[in-house]
Amino acid sequence: MKGRLITRAFLVAAAFVTFFPLYWILITSFKTQLDIVVNPTYLPWVDFMPTLEGWRWLLTEARADVIRAITNSLIVSGGSAVIATMLGAAAGYGLTRFQYRWRFWRNEDIAFWFISQRMLPPVAIVLAFLLMFRWLSLLDTQVGLTIAYTGFAIPFTVWIMRDAFAQVPLELEESAGVDGASAAGVFFRISLPLALPGVVGSMLFAFVFAWNEYLFALMLTFQEATTVPLLLASRITSFGTHWDQLSALTLTNLIPAAILGIMLERFLIRNRTEGSLK
Amino acid sequence: MLALSIFPLIFSLGLTFTNVNLFRRTPIRFVGLENWARIFSDEALLETLVNTVIFVGGGVAIQYALGLALAVALNQGLREQRLMRVLFLLPMMVSPIAVGFIIGRMVFSEGFGPINDMLQALGLPAVAWVTSPGVAKWTIILVDTWQWTPLMMLLILVGLQGIPGEPIQAARVDGASEWRIFRHIVFPLLLPVSITAILIRALEAFKIIDIIRVVTGGGPGRATESVTAYVYNVGAKQGDLAYAASAAYVLLFVVIGVSFLALYVMRRVQARYE
Repeated sequence: MKGRLITRAFLVAAAFVTFFPLYWILITSFKTQLDIVVNPTYLPWVDFMPTLEGWRWLLTEARADVIRAITNSLIVSGGSAVIATMLGAAAGYGLTRFQYRWRFWRNEDIAFWFISQRMLPPVAIVLAFLLMFRWLSLLDTQVGLTIAYTGFAIPFTVWIMRDAFAQVPLELEESAGVDGASAAGVFFRISLPLALPGVVGSMLFAFVFAWNEYLFALMLTFQEATTVPLLLASRITSFGTHWDQLSALTLTNLIPAAILGIMLERFLIRNRTEGSLK
Repeated sequence: MLALSIFPLIFSLGLTFTNVNLFRRTPIRFVGLENWARIFSDEALLETLVNTVIFVGGGVAIQYALGLALAVALNQGLREQRLMRVLFLLPMMVSPIAVGFIIGRMVFSEGFGPINDMLQALGLPAVAWVTSPGVAKWTIILVDTWQWTPLMMLLILVGLQGIPGEPIQAARVDGASEWRIFRHIVFPLLLPVSITAILIRALEAFKIIDIIRVVTGGGPGRATESVTAYVYNVGAKQGDLAYAASAAYVLLFVVIGVSFLALYVMRRVQARYE
């Protein structure tokens, strides 16, 4: 009883800290420039008059740009999340079920090599990408950006899926094998469904990573394949920041990711392995 | 994967032995170890390295603790649990550009930000969020924590789903307290996932730049400048690509060293439970 109370108090406090900034983005999208930079104002109609200017801009002048950017973002982020999770699942499964040995390289070293790919600062490698992509004619294409983001996400999806498969009891796979299931059958019918929460974590991570990536999108696309973060950055100009437009666009950008979260959350449920081991 | 990873690595390594500069039209030539010699007398690089370690150490520790608490709280079968899981994930989905500008710059603004306004309404002194060198470091950590605690929560929630129920039920039947169950059964089983979550977050945090550039611009002085921000300034603003690549390599060595050490320590902790 006391534990429940503490849990709830903690959640309420965390909710306030989490939602106040989101609320701030929401009301900023309805403010005039003057209401933003003079004094903080909190409640529409009470201490500031809401205006639809930011949203009007989003739905009229910028409409074509917004639609193109969101389409590009969806293709690039969705594509790289799916591919990186599939490859991550394959590599993660291999790393938990088989022992590899190449010279002094073991499974642990391979896993570390994967994650080490994320250690160099992006500013140090973006130039190399620019040259490589120009040579391969991948600049300003959705395919190019998808390949780059897939490459960036794989180190993480491998680790997430490796943990997920490590939690699947070996006995279940063995008994399925005894019952005559093929190796592929065991993977797709037993292991992967039981590792579904890992797939959720991996997909969400890879998607969000690509969805909000800025530097590589800036360097590798110019016109056709530009994504939402570039449009967001364009609201910040040397003449000042269009706060209302920036906020409206931020909320619009949040919606597809939130929908994905709602769709995937249902798979974040406990493995139903209890009683299946006898 | 190999092409994506090895080409940039070798390309930047090659750069460190040259005098490539974006703005100066001097012919490109090899300068041997000149850039590497400069590294050792570079006090700015050392200061940004210390800042980065503070951001990573402080930020990731807080994010892990909060993420773990949230994940456990949202895995007990509360009625609103499913909705709350999605809602608590939202901050990591907000574009970092917007987080930097709207939250970092506006909410923490010393002039027109709501936090100082509310503090003063409560009779408390205003805080110098970005103008005091000591506080500014915490502002960066706070903003980073707001955005990335949800990722910790997500990865730990994933790990919680794979924990078998029998030992927990057995302990409960034996009358063990919830805290003891968490401490001796749940937490040890979460260690592998915790290692992954901390490593993933730390690797990204080592490269922190966007929030810093937007919120404090690295200041006051160099108080909040990270290595990546330094590399960016040297490379993109001063055009000295060769030296920027060398500084980036220093960060790479530090990160590899810290990762090895962290993995070693965490494996030792894990071994104690097995």
